[in-house]
Amino acid sequence: MTYLMRRLAFMFGVLVAVTFLAFSATNVIGDPLFNVVGFYASIDCDAVIAGEMEDVIGTVAGTGIGECERVIEAREKYHLDDSLPVRYGRWIVGMAQGDFGESYANQMPVSSILAERLPKSMLLMGVSMVVALGVSIPWGVAAAYRANQRFDRASTAGAFGLLSIPGFALAIILFYFFVVRWQIFPSRYMDDNIFSRLHSLVLPAASLGLPLAVVYQRLLRTDLITTLQEDFVITAKAKGLSDRRIMFRHVLRPSMFGMITVVGLNMSALIGGTIIIESIFSIPGFGRELYVSAIRDDITVVLAGVTVLATAFVVINTVVDLLYSYLDPRVRRAG
Amino acid sequence: MPADTSEHTDGEKLPEVVAGPDADRAAPRRLGITFWVAIGWVALVTGAAIAAPLLPIADPDEIGIGPRASGPNWDQWFGTDTVGRDMFSRTIWGARVSLMVGFFSIVAGFLVGGMMGVVSGYRRGWTDLVLGFVTYIMLSFPTLVLFLLVILLFGQGLWTVTAALSIVVIPSVSRLARAITIAFAEREFVAAARLLGATNRRVMVREILPNVLIPMSALLLLGLGLTIVAEGGLAFLGLSVADGFSWGKMIQLGAGLRTLQTAPWVAFFPIGAMFLTVLSLNLAGDQLRQYFDVRELGIGGR
Repeated sequence: MTYLMRRLAFMFGVLVAVTFLAFSATNVIGDPLFNVVGFYASIDCDAVIAGEMEDVIGTVAGTGIGECERVIEAREKYHLDDSLPVRYGRWIVGMAQGDFGESYANQMPVSSILAERLPKSMLLMGVSMVVALGVSIPWGVAAAYRANQRFDRASTAGAFGLLSIPGFALAIILFYFFVVRWQIFPSRYMDDNIFSRLHSLVLPAASLGLPLAVVYQRLLRTDLITTLQEDFVITAKAKGLSDRRIMFRHVLRPSMFGMITVVGLNMSALIGGTIIIESIFSIPGFGRELYVSAIRDDITVVLAGVTVLATAFVVINTVVDLLYSYLDPRVRRAG
Repeated sequence: MPADTSEHTDGEKLPEVVAGPDADRAAPRRLGITFWVAIGWVALVTGAAIAAPLLPIADPDEIGIGPRASGPNWDQWFGTDTVGRDMFSRTIWGARVSLMVGFFSIVAGFLVGGMMGVVSGYRRGWTDLVLGFVTYIMLSFPTLVLFLLVILLFGQGLWTVTAALSIVVIPSVSRLARAITIAFAEREFVAAARLLGATNRRVMVREILPNVLIPMSALLLLGLGLTIVAEGGLAFLGLSVADGFSWGKMIQLGAGLRTLQTAPWVAFFPIGAMFLTVLSLNLAGDQLRQYFDVRELGIGGR
């Protein structure tokens, strides 16, 4: 087996394991029937319909039959009588074909819920990433350029401070000053046009992006300092290249490995962060939907969410590995 | 071989690329004043949290102990919240759940993750592949969904929340322990022990584990900061321990739009307490890490 094949098999195995775990766990937690037919889910409806059990919930005999027919109907519709692996198989095949099922809570197709919610969260994550990279790369380069001197020391202290503020606390601090006190940004998500969207996303993206920027800056700084001690930097200097050109063209590129790995690994943390941030800034995004669905046992939505997130995580990490081989050809040869 | 990205940072294929953070400056072999100030603050908070029932402070749950939503003053040092509870006393009591959950989850995560990493790094082969697979599954499962599932399955007890948090710590610790183990497994003293006829288990427990756990314990303080923050995030979403309250819960109570307008200190005192504690843990942990000279722990999540 080639490296690529092994890699793909491993990825596939992880995805199957994650989805199966999530599928089993959600089916143990919530009775899917309960969301559809409510109280009648817990009644032995076969007995009621067969006429063996008359008094269902202390009411007159026969009143529960209508409801019980709905229970049977729902069981057939969602194939709830099959065993767990069979249901998992049916569900995963449906997922692979793009059929995400429908929400138990409001009977909407999950794919249309995702289509409505995901873009908002993707925009938020995209803007956060822009903030994180836009802040960390210049900051890291500036700190490494004169390492252990005044700017670097001050930025190290600042980094420690920022790193110690939890993301949700940072969000509340920003919310307090920029929304409550100075009223620069809206308190709710404005969805009129792209400008109002970006305007509403500034604070959430800052709350998500700044803590990440600190982590990336630290990583980039140490890697830059290591690279700066290599011989080719002296060669470049001897050739008479400007400091700026050496930094950005020759040193930055080979120093980005650590950062790129962490960017990839951080994606799931970022998604976790969106759940809290979206609820603070009332953004109707994917994270918030996932949280609400999990609270109210809306299994199909949670499962679709888990699948999307796990797939994204695995794919991103593969892309990170490919980026490695692009940035450093030695990986390609070794692989 | 598990095709995870850590493969490239293990230093097996590309040692030059991972010369390591802080390789440029020699680690100072003493702990500075910052370290002791930071440890002092952590000790103060921990002591106050443990002794909270004995301290001469107001009952944190008693409504109307002062006027509603009054700012910091001589009677209530941190002011009162919107129903007139004493914020100073609440901040001290809030530390209890925060610190307890944070501490036990990071310790449990280090023990389990450390063990997994040592076994996987020492045995290699199939064991390594299987454990790497498990670690990767833990990493790719969305953290918050994992919490939600655990909490919905097993309830919101103190130990359940602690266990759920430690699951998040395990994969990162395990990867680091594995990398350190691989470095040590080649060393002479391990070969010597094996030549003397020591069993694999003995080599792992007596020779390798001390070498892995002692430097990694320097990272305990950094990890504790992370788990305290994570518990805060959970509590903020109403997913943490159901009985009692932690700093995260207090921040959530103070974070409503109206409360922020009329009584911002309700949110800001627990934020401040959490910030100072996490900052101290980060500072002390970083000093300790340099002291022991270990690589940074890649727990990115928060």
